[in-house]
Amino acid sequence: MTGIAVLVFFLLLGILISMRLTGLGRQFLNPVGGALQRVLSPVENALLQVGTLVRDDTRAFWSFDAVQKENAALKGKVDQLTGDNLKLKQQVLAGMRYAELDQGVFRSPTLDKFKMLGSTIINRNPTAWYQTLTINRGSDDGIRVDAPVIAHLGLVGKVIAVTPKTSEVLLITDGEGQVSALVRGSSGEGTFGIVQGTYQRGSRLTASGHLQMLFRRDDNVNAGDLVLTSGWGGVYPKDIPVGKVTEVQLDKSGLLKTAYIEPLVNFDNLEEVYIVKMS
Amino acid sequence: MRYVILVFLLLLTLVLPGTLFHLWAWSGIKPDLAMLFIIYVALHEPKWTGILWGLGTGLIEDFYLGHYLGMYSVTLTLVAALTSWLAGRWYRENFSLTMLLVFLVTAVGQLMVGFLGLGAGLSWSASDIFRLVLGVSIYNALLVPVTYPWIHRSFLHGWLRYRPKYER
Repeated sequence: MTGIAVLVFFLLLGILISMRLTGLGRQFLNPVGGALQRVLSPVENALLQVGTLVRDDTRAFWSFDAVQKENAALKGKVDQLTGDNLKLKQQVLAGMRYAELDQGVFRSPTLDKFKMLGSTIINRNPTAWYQTLTINRGSDDGIRVDAPVIAHLGLVGKVIAVTPKTSEVLLITDGEGQVSALVRGSSGEGTFGIVQGTYQRGSRLTASGHLQMLFRRDDNVNAGDLVLTSGWGGVYPKDIPVGKVTEVQLDKSGLLKTAYIEPLVNFDNLEEVYIVKMS
Repeated sequence: MRYVILVFLLLLTLVLPGTLFHLWAWSGIKPDLAMLFIIYVALHEPKWTGILWGLGTGLIEDFYLGHYLGMYSVTLTLVAALTSWLAGRWYRENFSLTMLLVFLVTAVGQLMVGFLGLGAGLSWSASDIFRLVLGVSIYNALLVPVTYPWIHRSFLHGWLRYRPKYER
């Protein structure tokens, strides 16, 4: 009996030593295990694939409630992701527009010396009375009243009201927004004048364009001339493109003529602008 | 043919827990099919034959797993011995009793694995061991109604029946 006990003791001791020596992470020669793995691994692989296939195909039966809940959760997730996707697309487009803005379709030595701050249009005037829009930059960003606002093609307007986080911009197309400008003809000489928006109370359906300038009969202004800011008004820097003269008409008196100007900026599709920090 | 089928079943018991039963795991608990196989063999074979099957299957499983050599050799040998001892006292035609036997023997076998693991330096907590012992024992016992009638019939009348030399 004692002999058996001693035998069992040594057997267990030997097994414990063997287990210690062949524990996880220990390398030892195991040709039998290697052969078994080689033979059985294709079977294991096939079984696992079949099992996974069967489980996936029959999952709806085994766990109908869970699948139903998961389906509802996924639908919610799809809605959320669709919204996120849309938001991302909008941001990508905004980024592209900013990049376009950065490339500088127009370059002005006057403008280059000022800092410019990109901004997104977050609202437009809800009434039909004013041509204004709201941007997402305010006094916290250093924006002040009268700061000029430009877009990638030209002048947009100026800031007329500032809150800490937003600013209201009056467009040059509004009757209240007047711009000191000059018209450059094909020969390069400039003719000064005041650009005035035609979007005025009660006359917003005027068919003659959004901007106009008054000139003397003798002034050399023709259709196709470019209108730029003159820099004289104290609000806008010099040489910012405003628009292009599309038509020139003589006044009834015959002393004056009106140039109708088509803005370079498409105000309807505008989404981003730059605010020029003059100080 | 009998031994071919037994070896085939043995290999299946090694392969299935990591594949199909991995997919049907219950909170990470899978059945110990090798142990179930040895219990069935020990229930139908003479005592020392059962024990030899336990030792052999344990060795193969140890090599197959590739670590802690000896853990399953000892455990399955003990499981076979315990099953043989119980088989002489329990009525093996009663499937409910067989379920209970499988549950108890598996529990002892899993406890053995747990203690040997602790002896080999594995850091298993008591709650882990308890959960695994109980879970695997229940899983093995639940497989009895599905597998035992077929195995039992085969051992008595089918391909797994032992045929003396003069019958072959």
